[in-house]
Amino acid sequence: MTIDDLTGQTGEWLAETGPQHDIIVSSRVRLARNVAAFPFMSKANRTQRAELHAVCRERLLEVPLARPVFYVDMDQTNEVERQLLVERHLISKQHAAGEGARGVAISTDEALSVMVNEEDHLRLQVLRSGLQLKECWAEADKLDDQLQETLDYAFNQRFGYLTACPTNLGTGLRVSVMLHLPALKLTGDIEKVFRAAKDMHLAVRGLYGEGTEAIGDFYQISNQTTLGRSENEILDEFKDVIIPRIIMAETQARSILENERPLALDDRIGRAIGVLKHARLLSSEETLFFLSHLRLGVVLKRVTGLDLATINQLFLQTQPAHLQRHLKKPLDGDARKAARAEFVRARLGKNNL
Amino acid sequence: MFACERCSKPATVHLTEISGGKRTEIHLCDACAQEAGYVQQAHVPINELLNQFLKAHAQVPDTPVTSCPDCGLTWQEFKDSGLLGCAKDYDLFEAQLKGVVERAQQDATHHTGKVPLRAAGVKRAEDPVKLRQAELARLRKDLARAVAEESYEKAARLRDQIKTMEGAA
Repeated sequence: MTIDDLTGQTGEWLAETGPQHDIIVSSRVRLARNVAAFPFMSKANRTQRAELHAVCRERLLEVPLARPVFYVDMDQTNEVERQLLVERHLISKQHAAGEGARGVAISTDEALSVMVNEEDHLRLQVLRSGLQLKECWAEADKLDDQLQETLDYAFNQRFGYLTACPTNLGTGLRVSVMLHLPALKLTGDIEKVFRAAKDMHLAVRGLYGEGTEAIGDFYQISNQTTLGRSENEILDEFKDVIIPRIIMAETQARSILENERPLALDDRIGRAIGVLKHARLLSSEETLFFLSHLRLGVVLKRVTGLDLATINQLFLQTQPAHLQRHLKKPLDGDARKAARAEFVRARLGKNNL
Repeated sequence: MFACERCSKPATVHLTEISGGKRTEIHLCDACAQEAGYVQQAHVPINELLNQFLKAHAQVPDTPVTSCPDCGLTWQEFKDSGLLGCAKDYDLFEAQLKGVVERAQQDATHHTGKVPLRAAGVKRAEDPVKLRQAELARLRKDLARAVAEESYEKAARLRDQIKTMEGAA
């Protein structure tokens, strides 16, 4: 399998089959690990870096996994391919922009990816649709166990798994959920959710993680502390406290909109359909913004004749790298906006909205 | 008793130098030894010593001059980048890192989660299944050796032991 094969498919995490997927788009678990015999990335020289890359790559390809894994050597990719992997949440922006020997192992269903030589030697990620944090953790934990049979991790009794940055120390576990919160945004209560999240020491980020803007009402919420609590304690806080609260708030906001401001709600959804079906130039941000309202309409069953899978595909396929890959040519400025509008029109034109 | 080689006073400093396989002995009095640079002036005022001591120690907490012998990282470098250079830095800079970690980790100081199977120097709660498997493997090896050595009594005993353990599983 290659990056080319990815372009045409939709990863499991966007399948919209996971529990609570009307609000929780996806669940993600990430583990940071370093190999004891090598210095961390900032102090690894070219030779060590290349050696580390070769060792990790070999281990990742020989671990017996439920689903086959293919490996992408970042040095062998072009910018559009790297951007494509970022858009699919398989690598971070930092990894795409990085330098030197580095890569990523990806399972064919895109649920599993392991970055090699990012900020830490290994960053294991399991990404699934809807609310499936426990399932994500079970899978990451298992791969972690398999890898440590042949790799000695940097670990000490006091600080746990040792990471390049002390913010990942201990469990090395970052749990995050991607949330679609359009109703809270429309009622103006989203700020309250953010404040509550900050009080609980959670980080709120945009669609593509660290340092990205929240666009299209999508937010990533993740734990900020990784030390002092066990993996299960971190996961349970999400399952028992954080997620139920957010689901309750968004559900409440949705019913307020439906019961008290139905006209305003339908106006938003109608405008979204109008723009998406008829615009001739669409920017990436604009597309996400209107697709978000369209998604809300579909979830609330105020729009019929369209399924969530189609909307999810549009979210992904209208991103810059996907668009260019799809059309097989580099596009910039208005050419890209025109291509995007045409793509959306073609997809939605088939549906009687 | 030797006399000072320079001034003939009683010598108090005795040095043996070996260079190029040739051994030379030097005998000097205090004053001449100081002049020749062999010894330091002994009469440094006590408060000056104390000051030097305090000065040296006052610098320890925030500006240690140490850099990691493995990766070369200095504390200043960490303060600039926020990134450590190798696993050893966590031991080397533990005192300074303590506060940083507590700030970053909501006052947490110790790991309470997963422990890797093969971390050096870390004790792990033994898994009874694994223990039994290891024990069985050891018994089978002993049995093979006993047979090879024709110690049939021992072999029979080991065979029975293995049977009992396999039965229990």
